[in-house]
Amino acid sequence: MKKRFLSGLLTAVLVASTLVGCGGQQGTKSNGSDAGSQEAKELDGEITFWHSFTQGPRLEVIQKAADNFMQENPKVKINIETFSWGDFYTKWTTGLASGNVPDMSTALPSHVVEMMDSEAIIPVDDLIDDIGRDRFAKTALSEGEKDGKCYSIPLYSHAQVMWYRKDLLEAANLEVPKTWDEFATAAKALTKDGVYGCSFPCGSNDLMATRFLNFYVRSAGGSLLTDDLKANLTSKEAIDGINFWLDIYKNCSPKDSVNYAVLDQANLYYQGKTAFDFNSGFQISGVKTNSPDLIDQISCAPLPKIKVDDPDYGAETSNIPMVVWANSKHPEICKAFMKTLYDTDTYTEFLAATPVGMLPAITGISDTEKYKSNETIQKFASEEKIIEDAVQRGTAIGFEHGPSVQAGLLTSQGIIEGMFQDIITNGTDVKTAAKAAEDKLNEIFASVQ
Amino acid sequence: MKDKIKSNYSRWLFVLPALIIVGALLIYPIFSSTYFSLTTKHLTKPSYKFVWFKNYISILSDVGFYKAFAISILWTICSLLGQIVIGFSAALALHRVKYFKGVYRILLIIPWAFPSIVIALAWKWILNGVSGFIPNLLVNMGLASGLPQFLSDGSLVFGTLIFINIWFGAPMIMVNVLSALQTIPTDQYEAAQIDGASKLQQFRHITLPHIKVVVGLLVVLRTIWVFNNFDLIYLITGGGPANATTTVPIYAYNMGWGTKLLGKSSAVTMLLLIFLLIVCTLYFKVIDRWEKEDK
Repeated sequence: MKKRFLSGLLTAVLVASTLVGCGGQQGTKSNGSDAGSQEAKELDGEITFWHSFTQGPRLEVIQKAADNFMQENPKVKINIETFSWGDFYTKWTTGLASGNVPDMSTALPSHVVEMMDSEAIIPVDDLIDDIGRDRFAKTALSEGEKDGKCYSIPLYSHAQVMWYRKDLLEAANLEVPKTWDEFATAAKALTKDGVYGCSFPCGSNDLMATRFLNFYVRSAGGSLLTDDLKANLTSKEAIDGINFWLDIYKNCSPKDSVNYAVLDQANLYYQGKTAFDFNSGFQISGVKTNSPDLIDQISCAPLPKIKVDDPDYGAETSNIPMVVWANSKHPEICKAFMKTLYDTDTYTEFLAATPVGMLPAITGISDTEKYKSNETIQKFASEEKIIEDAVQRGTAIGFEHGPSVQAGLLTSQGIIEGMFQDIITNGTDVKTAAKAAEDKLNEIFASVQ
Repeated sequence: MKDKIKSNYSRWLFVLPALIIVGALLIYPIFSSTYFSLTTKHLTKPSYKFVWFKNYISILSDVGFYKAFAISILWTICSLLGQIVIGFSAALALHRVKYFKGVYRILLIIPWAFPSIVIALAWKWILNGVSGFIPNLLVNMGLASGLPQFLSDGSLVFGTLIFINIWFGAPMIMVNVLSALQTIPTDQYEAAQIDGASKLQQFRHITLPHIKVVVGLLVVLRTIWVFNNFDLIYLITGGGPANATTTVPIYAYNMGWGTKLLGKSSAVTMLLLIFLLIVCTLYFKVIDRWEKEDK
């Protein structure tokens, strides 16, 4: 009996121990080397590249670029590992504690701030200068800047715009909405016959509700962060925004959307089940794959405003960068390989993997014949223009005050999503729920200072 | 004497690999967790401070922890009761089947054979509030006026998850109980029949005493597994909506991997460990008494 008692206890301990955190040492620091001066030497070594290009065409282009690089540099080996953004975040944050991080990777701007804060990545100014600093947008470079040094190099850009179904609007004799009020009216009118006007997603495993609230708050000239980087969910703009999206949820959205993450949300639009959605140009490839017969019926417009004569604005731009990790033994190989990704042919081919979804992060690409000859880019030229304009005007969520860890935490904790769920599910008063979420975020902000 | 010493050494040599593995996988995490639970350890920050029991005090004064704890207890009790009742009934029924017993057993064990990710995605798809098969079926049959939101309605979601967990876990109970049933000598039933014992009396005085230790051990194991269950709930609801399905393991995960406060997360898991050790001790005391009674 004693033996069984002991084995039972050990089982309990073992199962419980699977949940415990793991510790370990941080990786050793490594200085970046000058990409230019290294070029003369023969490159020799093995690097690992983590990227989040999970879709086939993008993955293939990156693999092809790596194969070409290895052919030109026979002593180099590039190992490519692919993760979704969610997995990537878990992988690098846990990997950092055990030193298991790659040599180079893609990243989200909010990740870059955390990586810089953890001293996990090294500056890439030499590479940026090598490619041509003036070819990059200053805003995009500033998202990875700390103490005058750039720690990330933008690979491509996109921005959030409003997508709509032309056929449904025409059938209901409605104009493309320019204000939030017009949007709500149209969304409500189009909620019929198995189609929802607009889904409002607030699953706590994603940032979707934060994104949607940010649209409204930015359009009203506000921000989800104060100037001193505190959470700002009790401002008039934020409370109005919360009430606006609750109204949309109540009247135009599938009730299941309270648990939706980004793909659940996008899939509804791809399948023609929502009349409006908010997304980047990735929406085109999604509809093309899932409902090719709807491809002629979709278009996009700038995000709605509070009043029609309010100034134009961009709420959320994403400049997706690459970084070199401090743990890397071969930063010179990483930088040399990264540079080849910006070669006009390779870069154009990469962007063409998701046309209009990924916009060039450097000048001198969008006006080339090869880029312009893409069929989707030609077909959605006006949509691309609208997205390009939004890219210029927007920042990552919370980055309107400059890159900060707080901006990253604002989107990664699911607190705003939890707030919406609390109001919807438990009927909590809006102001009470907003104050509770604001306090919770500020508590988390304090833990990293 | 020499031989005895040699034999002692070789004995240790044989168990050494197992000891090393247990040490690495069990002892190290326990000690590191205990240590980190007393610090401000952060997932991505290199430095941290020693704060003694501050993390424990902070967690024990958080309403969210108690809510998660209550949900975990309810989740464990409801799942376990359902799994035992269904699994036990299925085992008794299957024990009586004369033909194609193997086929039925394989069919009934199928849910247990699926990986959690497959189960989670399949149920999410079946119960989807827009295009899910079951919600649409209920509407088309006139049993519901609107699409039931099994995974997003606060009043339905917990019951739905319990149902899925029972569906998933009952086969495991069934197989184990069935094995125990097959070890009961049939002559005992024959003797009882001759003595005029009813079916209920046979069950109470023959079947139950034979299988109660097996069921008891199953309950111990399932309690630990179900209480610590993370993947199924996290993959289906993520603990939502509005924390309606946030159990202690999800609370700990959010603390460690969401806010990255490993110190606090470790403190939660240590509290979880203490609770499970207490529960297991109680269970084993009961099983021990059963065994003594049998002797």
